[in-house]
Amino acid sequence: MSILHVVFKVGGTEYAMPADEVLQMESYGGATPVPGAARGVVGIVQVRGRVVPVLDLRARFGLEPIAATLNSRLVVGQDGARSVALLVDSAREVLKLDPEQIEPPPPMMADDSQGFVRAVARMGERLVMLIDFKRVIGEERLHGE
Amino acid sequence: MSDVVDLAEFRTAFVVEAEELLTTANTSLLDIEKALRAGNKNIRAVRELFRAVHTIKGLSSMVGIEPVVGIAHRLETTLRAADRAGGSLALESIDTLLEGVRAIAKRVRALADGQPVAEAPSELLDRLERLESATPSTARQSGAGALILDAEIAGKLGAQDQAQLLEGLAQGRRALRVDFIPSPLRAEAGSTITSVRARVAKIGDIVKVVPISVPVTADAPGGLKFGLLVVTSESAQALADAVGVDPGMVYSLAAPPAAGILGAVLEAEPEEPSVSRHGVVRVDVERLDDVMERLSTLVVTRFRLSRALAELAAAGADVRALAQIMNENGRQLRDLRAAILRVRMVPVSEVFERVPLLVRGLSRATGKQVRLVIDAGTAEVDKGVAERLFPAVVHLVRNAVDHAFESPDERTRAGKPAEGALTIACFERTNSQLELTISDDGRGIDRKLVADRAHRPLPDSDAALLELLCLPGLSTRDEATMTSGRGMGMDIVKRTVEQLGGELTLQTRVGVGTRFVMHVPVSISIVDAFTFECAAQRFVVPVTMVEEVVDIDPARLVRGPTRRGGEAPRLLERRNETVPVVQLESLFRLGDRGGEARKALVVRRNGEPMAFSVDRMLGQQEVVVRPLEDPLVRVIGISGATDLGDGRPTLVLDLAALSGALSAATLEPAA
Repeated sequence: MSILHVVFKVGGTEYAMPADEVLQMESYGGATPVPGAARGVVGIVQVRGRVVPVLDLRARFGLEPIAATLNSRLVVGQDGARSVALLVDSAREVLKLDPEQIEPPPPMMADDSQGFVRAVARMGERLVMLIDFKRVIGEERLHGE
Repeated sequence: MSDVVDLAEFRTAFVVEAEELLTTANTSLLDIEKALRAGNKNIRAVRELFRAVHTIKGLSSMVGIEPVVGIAHRLETTLRAADRAGGSLALESIDTLLEGVRAIAKRVRALADGQPVAEAPSELLDRLERLESATPSTARQSGAGALILDAEIAGKLGAQDQAQLLEGLAQGRRALRVDFIPSPLRAEAGSTITSVRARVAKIGDIVKVVPISVPVTADAPGGLKFGLLVVTSESAQALADAVGVDPGMVYSLAAPPAAGILGAVLEAEPEEPSVSRHGVVRVDVERLDDVMERLSTLVVTRFRLSRALAELAAAGADVRALAQIMNENGRQLRDLRAAILRVRMVPVSEVFERVPLLVRGLSRATGKQVRLVIDAGTAEVDKGVAERLFPAVVHLVRNAVDHAFESPDERTRAGKPAEGALTIACFERTNSQLELTISDDGRGIDRKLVADRAHRPLPDSDAALLELLCLPGLSTRDEATMTSGRGMGMDIVKRTVEQLGGELTLQTRVGVGTRFVMHVPVSISIVDAFTFECAAQRFVVPVTMVEEVVDIDPARLVRGPTRRGGEAPRLLERRNETVPVVQLESLFRLGDRGGEARKALVVRRNGEPMAFSVDRMLGQQEVVVRPLEDPLVRVIGISGATDLGDGRPTLVLDLAALSGALSAATLEPAA
């Protein structure tokens, strides 16, 4: 049984999460900054009448920030009662992944990625990291003030 | 697929209904206990309790939560006997019955939270079963027992079958019913009705196997279960093990010997309670939130309309007719909003329904005697506020019983009644504020003890004492007690009240007692607010929070020395009062505005004023506040977000909390 995944790019790497964890995708036109919010949070946006925090995945993944472009997208994911928008460099593709394409991340990566990467999908030459949405939006304040 | 969805919907309805019934059950049990203690019987309460439990059982079997069915069935059996015996029930059985109700409540909660529902604890089931045989009189005549059979089963049993069951009882064996639900999954695991029959036959005599129809669920895909009626010398647990089911699926068929009932008794269930509150609709709060959400989009649309109207007017168009319609539209929206807010109101007395049970448990656990007085009058409160506030009330009640009240001996020695008086009172003040008071006549709070524990100087007022009490992690007791050791501290109580836009105050006298007062708004969804701009970002602050908007003359601002190389503290002189001025843009690191701020919002907390300087005021309007609850954006001083009509969220500030946090920070010993 293959599972539909949303694929997006952050810093040249391709990531994916199951489509049924994604509420919707939006273009990004800036967010309202929230002073004192957790690190990596660029602010809040309104999505379908709901106010959700925007988490910059570049910051979350320890990459240099870049200015938003026309390709920037918000991938709004849902975990239980929480909805969080992930700000990514681009998101264009939806992929069906078969279980046999998916393998656990190499131990070194598992250690270094703070558990953000749940698995790696291999499609020929292409490698796609499956993110653990719950971990990525983890409740712990990275740099609380 | 649609079956699954329907079931989910049904479960929600089930949870709502079951929780209401559980509240009734608890209240009835306490009433029964009170009557028993006074040497009376409360027949009405016994019957109400029986009905509640009976309905819970019926609903649970429809939803298919067998553990609850099992517990409810046993409660029901005891209560039916008590009802038939004119409401007589042993005082000692109340605890076990409460425990049974609690066990059901726990499982209903689990279902509501989408958690797995734990099996019925067999130890509790055993104790409930022992109650059955002990109620109402322990005289169990040998040879003459009675059977309890659901009507559906009774109809399928011949006289011979019933005689066989009765005979088993007469021989001192057990007459039990165990239910087995056939499913492909169980068949795969080797359990079919044939194999179950074979296993049961090894430990007892199968009198009859009765097919019973049940709603189709994932657990019962065939819409069918089998009730095996068994006479055995083994325990219910052994039978459950033989069938491979939860002991909750095993029912005793032996009726407690009640007055003059011999032979098989067909179920004479009391009538289902008629719809008691005629014309009342139960609504999920989420649906009300949804209505409110829709209203808020209407309000936003109105902002845009009035903006477009203003532009038209500015362009020289005649907008008088339009403006009139807009006015009318505005009135209608206000009325609609008021109507929706009314729908969301619940009586405060309902919120407190669970308190007597809590106090009873605490009083048991601590050995302290408590006289609880609740006076909620006719006050009403928004359901959302009630739900947030209740945990804070629970905490204060726990604290009172656990820490404030002395032991009965100690109280007598101090010349107080042995019973501690705990009073919860609530009334609505005119300005849509609720005043909720929780007071006790206990030992009072010792300032010095709290100061020592917090390693702070002795507080000079009750307000300062409260600040200390609300420091995170402060506990004035060394040992974590059974009842208050866990849960939230005073800091959370305070934060809860403040998040609601309210205030918590304290009065205490050593040896005399303590009184906590919470002032909270009756409802929170829509507030009248100032909009203002600071460093090019717009913000909103509730009007009720602001004491005054003042002009600032930069020439008259007094700057103090800089402490840590940061912003120099500024002071403002206002009507013989010195007011510290905080620059919002530097506090929020919004970047430089260039030049000095001209306006400031003055807020007051614990009597202390503080001014927040801003660039300019934009106006005043009603806004729909959406709380910011995600942990990523939970920040002191920011209570929510609102849409001013531009489709973007604007931050709603809680300047009172911010000033509190700033004062606390300056009290902090320099790091």
